[in-house]
Order: sequence, then structure tokens, then C-alpha cells
Amino acid sequence: MNIAIWLIRREFWENRAIWMIPVVIGGLMILIALFGRVDLMSISPVPVQAVGGGFLLAVGATFFAVMSIYSTWYLLDCLYADRKDRSVLFWKSMPISDAATVLSKLATALIVIPAVYFAAADLTTLIMAFIVSVRWSSSIDGALWHADLWLQLQALWLYMIVTTALWYLPIAAYLLVVSAWAKRAVMLWSLLPPLALVLAERWFFDSHVILGTIGERLLGYPAQAFRDDPGCCSWVTAAVGNDTITAPTGIWGFFNVAGFFSSAETWIGAAVGAALIVCAIQLRTRRTEI
Amino acid sequence: MSALIEARDLTKKYGAHVALDRANFSVEAGRIVGLIGPNGAGKTTALRAILGLTAYEGQLQVLGHEPFRERTALMHDACFIADVAVLPAWLRVDQAIDFVAGVHPRFRRDRAVSLLAKADITGERRMRELSKGMKTQVHLALAMAIDAKLLVLDEPTLGLDILARRAFYDALVNDYMDETRTILITTHQVEEVENLLTDVLFIDKGRIVLDSSLDDIATRYAAVAVASDNLDAARAEKPFHERPMLGKVVLYYEQPNLEKLAALGEVHAMSVADLFVAKLSGGAE
Repeated sequence: MNIAIWLIRREFWENRAIWMIPVVIGGLMILIALFGRVDLMSISPVPVQAVGGGFLLAVGATFFAVMSIYSTWYLLDCLYADRKDRSVLFWKSMPISDAATVLSKLATALIVIPAVYFAAADLTTLIMAFIVSVRWSSSIDGALWHADLWLQLQALWLYMIVTTALWYLPIAAYLLVVSAWAKRAVMLWSLLPPLALVLAERWFFDSHVILGTIGERLLGYPAQAFRDDPGCCSWVTAAVGNDTITAPTGIWGFFNVAGFFSSAETWIGAAVGAALIVCAIQLRTRRTEI
Repeated sequence: MSALIEARDLTKKYGAHVALDRANFSVEAGRIVGLIGPNGAGKTTALRAILGLTAYEGQLQVLGHEPFRERTALMHDACFIADVAVLPAWLRVDQAIDFVAGVHPRFRRDRAVSLLAKADITGERRMRELSKGMKTQVHLALAMAIDAKLLVLDEPTLGLDILARRAFYDALVNDYMDETRTILITTHQVEEVENLLTDVLFIDKGRIVLDSSLDDIATRYAAVAVASDNLDAARAEKPFHERPMLGKVVLYYEQPNLEKLAALGEVHAMSVADLFVAKLSGGAE
């Protein structure tokens, strides 16, 4: 346990971007809240849930999008960088197993980094809500300081951290395999094998099962984790200027907890991920240097 | 068990290239052993096998462990500096100390701190800001603060200037070595370590060609410088190597008849460097 904490701490030392990027995003958003010219008066008649929820979701989504890109890069780099600069020879002189090392990188990407972004998004929305309330006085207050909304946002983040970790496990594990294996150009090597498989399948069998599987894994997460059924919750409609927006009154109904955790796809993916992790650990043991 | 490292038929192939070819050797506790060989002889491969960094064929026991399968356990009792300057550029000196103190049960922080203070290296500096010599000092301080039974050094002073090299070896001998330690070291610069070694292993083309203590070398070998008029008589004593030098010829003998040879020329002890050259080039130069 102690070793796990030191390994995670080491990741923070090496990858300062883990916390610097969310700090920068949060800072920019706060600047926008401070000096932005948003005419909130025009949307003031919109129901509380729609404005507050939309605002909080937009902030969260921005963090989430950046995080996905950063985590991908992190996973590709983490087992490659120390082989490239040969510092792997120092890390391997410590009584730490290769399994612990690989799992610490995986945990950093799937749990630690999302937790950092979650905290940053929360803090940012709090500060922004405060600034907006002060700047535009009471007209918007009710929308932003809404206990149920905040609770929903926390639940959404926690649900997404758990479900994305499970859903994207095979992708993360695959990136670790490439990172532990490639001698150069990790980005290219991460794309080539799937591309070659897709083309080969198309060439020999004129089918696209692999492409479909990969696409489903990359893009299928929302459909697995959330309900896409308008009947699952109640909606409100409101006019914003000339547009009309429709928003759910709450997000609880969207969580497809039972569906996600009972889906075969979820667990097949997790099993493939586990196998790839074993693969990455083996490669880490055998491939010391580039 | 007195042998700390025991290798039997240790073999490592990279495709068609045989880096280690059924090498047999053992290292006893309390010794400072030099693993010496030309480039590509298999030195680094042998060390990588001993440290569990590479798979191998044959039998190998290090501190009672099978290195490749039990590297984690082995690293509790063994420590290594493989090559110079492998500490990552982003790492700060105090982070390095914190990390090793956190993960290594045998690390003694006070010792590392005092060694670094001696070298005038402060905690907030990053490795990228340090010279190669200073980085090596940091790594050595970390390694020396670990109460390891075996310390392995692979070309630890490569690319360092003479001052840094001297500082490195002085620290090793004066502040680290005692009867509970064993050091295995590879280097090109035989002359530099000759005085601190107790044993040498010569390796060539993946095989161990000599495994001897320095005491044995002193009694077993001799070098004799003879003038040309005594050369035929000296050659009759069966030297295994000879080398012309300043108008004389130096002949090297194994188990020499010292009385006879003393009459033919000046008898010297054979240095490890000379023995290395003689053993590896064979015959006359």
C-alpha cells in the first residue's frame, strides 16, 4: 500500500500536467466569468434547472474532453518515456515489481487523473457560480445555488469515473502495451495495428467486424452508461431569445446503472483489458531498454 | 552459502548473436570483483542477467534468488547503478531521497543526506540542472545509503572527468566498503580500479577466460623486461605473451621460474591491465 502511494506520488512529480492543465482550464473559465460579456438577463426567465444544469454540465464537459485527450497521451507515454531516457534502470533498481509499476500507471490514468479533474471542475463551478451571482445579482442565483443540482453533478462525475474506467479498460490497457513495447513513435504504433487489422479484414473478408468493434468501444460508452429514453424523466421547455431549449429536470433517470453493470459488453471488455494488462506487465519485465 | 553469485552455463542469445556463452563464475561475499572485458564481450549482458533485467538460459543464483523471476525480492538486498546518469531529468534530489526512503526498507536517509551535503548538492535541484559528475554523485549517494549486500556498478564513471572519477571511487572505498559488502563492477578503465579490486573476472566473447584473485595474480604471473641479447633464452621459458618496449621486450609468464628469469632481465609483478591485454590478445603483439 505504501509503495502504491509512492508510485502515484512519483507520477505527479513526473507529470506535472496532471494538475497544471486543469488549473489552467479552471483559471480561464474563471476569467471568462469575471470579464466575459454574457447577457444573462436575456435567459433569466428560463427555469432554474435548465440554466443551472446547462451551465454546470458545460463546465464539466470541457474538463472531461481535455482529460480524455491528456489521459490517452499519458498512457502512451508512461512506460515509454523512462525507457527512452534510460531512467528505467534506476526504477528497476528499487524493490518494486513490474506489476506494481504498470498498475500504478493504469490507476493514475483511470482513477487519479479523473479525480483531479473532478475536483478542479467542482472548484471551478463553485467559484464561477459565486462570481456570476455577484455580477448579475439575484436574477440567476436560484439557478446556480441549487443543492439538488450540485448533488446531481457529484453523482454524475463519480458514476462516470467508475463506468469509464471499466468501459475504457481495454483501450487503456492496449495503450500501455504499446507504451511498454514500442521502440519509437508510440502514437503511430498505437494506430497501426488496429488500422492494419481493419484493412486486412476488409481485403480478405470484405467485412468490417473489427472496425465495428473498435468503433463501438470508442463511441459506445454513452449508450451503455446512460438511458436514451425521453420517458425516463420529466422535461421543461423554455424560450431563450429566439430559441427554445428543452432540458430535463433532473439527471437521475438517465443513469443506466443496472444496464451498464449487467451488460456483457462491459465485462467482455474488462476481461480483454485484464489480459492486455498482463501482457503489458510481461513486456515491462522483458523490455528494459529501447 | 558463501558464494553470493553463482552462475553455471549462463547463456544469453540475441537472435543469432551469442552474448553469453555458457559462462561459469562465482562471486564470494566481501569481495570487490571487477568484470573486465572488451566492448561487446558480454559484460553488460552478464550484469543484466545478474540483476534480473533480462531472461537467460542456464543457472544463476544471486543472494539465493533467481534474478529474472525474483527481481523484486533481490532488490531488497542488492542495488545497482547501471550506467551513468540514468536518474530522470525531472526528478529533484529531495524527491529522489523521499522516494527511495518510501519504497526501500533498507534505505538510511541520514546517510544519503550527509553524503549529498559532503558533495555540496542541495535538495531542490533537478537532475537536468546537474552536471554528469554530480548526477553520478547523487546516484552513488542513494546507492550507498542502502544497506545492500551486493552493489553492482556498470561502467559507473563513463564520460566523467578525472576529478569526478576519483571522487566516485574514493567515496566507494572509504565510505561504503566493509566486510559485509560485495561489489561487482565493470569498467573499461582497468588501471583505475586495479587498486581497489580483490578479484577479477575476464570475459571475452561471452565466456569467462580468467577468474582469479589479485593475490593469486601476483604470485602466479610475472613480467620480465629483457634486452635483445637475452631474448632467445627468455623465450625458451615459454612466455604466453610478449610486447616490445623501449628497446627491450617484456615477456609475460605464468608460474614462472623466477630464479632463472631474474638472471635474464628485470622481473616485475604483472598488472591487471597487462594481464588483460595478454590474455585477450594471445601470443605476441
